Amino acid sequence: MRPGQVRSAAKPATPPFSPVLLLGLALKPMRPQVLQPIFDAMLRMIRRRHPDILERMADYADRPVCIDPTDLPFVILLDPNPEAPALIVRREIDPEEVAATIHGPLATLIALAEGKVDGDALFFSRRLIIEGDTEVVVALRNAIDGAGIDLVEDMSAQLGPFGKAFRGLAGAAIGLADRMQADFETLRAALIAPAVKDVDAQSARIAALEGELKQLRKAARRGGVA
Amino acid sequence: MGSTLPPTRPELVCPAGTPAALKSAVDAGADCVYVGFRDETNARNFPGLNFNRKELGEGIAYAHDKGAKVLVAINTFPRAGTPELWHQAVADAARLKADAVILADIGLIEHAARVHPELRLHLSVQAAASNPAAIAFYAERFGVKRVVLPRVLTVQEIATINARIAPVETEVFVFGGLCVMAEGRCALSSYVTGQSPNMNGVCSPAGEVRYTETHAGVTSELSGFTINKFAPNEPAGYPTLCKGRFIARDKASYLFEEPTSLNTLNILPDLIKAGVTAFKIEGRQRGRAYVAAVVQAFRAGVDAVMAGRPLPDIDLDRITEGGKQTTGAYEKAWR
Repeated sequence: MRPGQVRSAAKPATPPFSPVLLLGLALKPMRPQVLQPIFDAMLRMIRRRHPDILERMADYADRPVCIDPTDLPFVILLDPNPEAPALIVRREIDPEEVAATIHGPLATLIALAEGKVDGDALFFSRRLIIEGDTEVVVALRNAIDGAGIDLVEDMSAQLGPFGKAFRGLAGAAIGLADRMQADFETLRAALIAPAVKDVDAQSARIAALEGELKQLRKAARRGGVA
Repeated sequence: MGSTLPPTRPELVCPAGTPAALKSAVDAGADCVYVGFRDETNARNFPGLNFNRKELGEGIAYAHDKGAKVLVAINTFPRAGTPELWHQAVADAARLKADAVILADIGLIEHAARVHPELRLHLSVQAAASNPAAIAFYAERFGVKRVVLPRVLTVQEIATINARIAPVETEVFVFGGLCVMAEGRCALSSYVTGQSPNMNGVCSPAGEVRYTETHAGVTSELSGFTINKFAPNEPAGYPTLCKGRFIARDKASYLFEEPTSLNTLNILPDLIKAGVTAFKIEGRQRGRAYVAAVVQAFRAGVDAVMAGRPLPDIDLDRITEGGKQTTGAYEKAWR
């Protein structure tokens, strides 16, 4: 099992080619626990600014969820117990430890948390993979979507006088990440262009063969030569 | 009841499953927002969804402050002998100054009309009133002001109904999920899970759904029954029996209905000419991103039609079920 992957019979979700993927590779040698203070701060922020998330999850207090950013070498264990909630970063999680797992690229998971994309639409388009107890995942999705999270705004509010500086830095970082993502898309398209051309040609050949097969089957049904 | 009404500016009635979605809907231009309490009194009783009393009070205040209305759906059918939860829901909606309640059960409608005569009553799609005689009964007997029409009528049939039931208003669905069955009478989910939207507010409850990912794609199961398999990258749909893919004569296909979303953006002028009072967007279970995108699109559409401008070309493909759209029964192309 590669680091950061949950032990699962499922097909591992293929991460998109993105700056986050490169960041994930760079983070690979690092112990995930080094990142724990970030998640502790996030949990404090949730408890202070969005207590309704835990209130909406009250019926699922005993059903922890694994959040698997597929482009990073770690997973996050979310324990929604309102009495002792936890957000723990780990190298890996045994599926037996959690009620459900949500797999998706980091950018998609953040957009989902901030209500910028619709969870059902992500599922329809297969950009989000859900395993295990669907009920707790739906409850979590609704609880988070209903909270109106704005990560930059929420985190900057935690930082008091440094909040304004954080907001500026975060804005610059998001702008840079967006530009890098666009560049990565161009690079990805250039790298796979020959393969796409081959696939398109093969698809056209398969479509033609399927057409011929259909005609032959029709002829066979009419009693002709198949 | 009688004459044809001239086309009027229709209200845009938008879904909200959470306070954040209510704000998104109002900010995106909703004239009305419809919501439900966090229990089995409404047909979207999903995990983590809906409003407690405090949230609804705050939501109504927010909407009223911005000139929008809030309608409360109490549209499941009370369990025999225990209507208290439903009666309390109606009483709380009235106390919190909801602009109307959307009801389906005839007993609950009688209760609301008698105990809360000041409360505006809308007839839920779950009541499946689809002809002038049925609508007239609810209007004359209980003072129902608006009827949400089932998604089984053509635009022409809606125009005919409107001409015969005035001044009772009609509300029609313009976007979102489709039910293939007569609404309020579908028991498919009950057969497999023991729960239905009519009685419990849930169709194919999430607790009964499992997804299994393999190299061949994803398999969806409902209460242990496989109901669909999607190839890698094939757009998926809701795990409901009506949208299951079943094998008949050795061929797997959608026997009831394909995963598809209703989208009437291109026929809004026809629906307005048909005298519809309100356009309803389905999807209280969807996120606020969906709410904002669809409300903005239909706000732009309605405003364009009323101003005599061409309809805007807005792509809503990314939020549709199965990546497909239809005008459904409104155009009944299959006839």
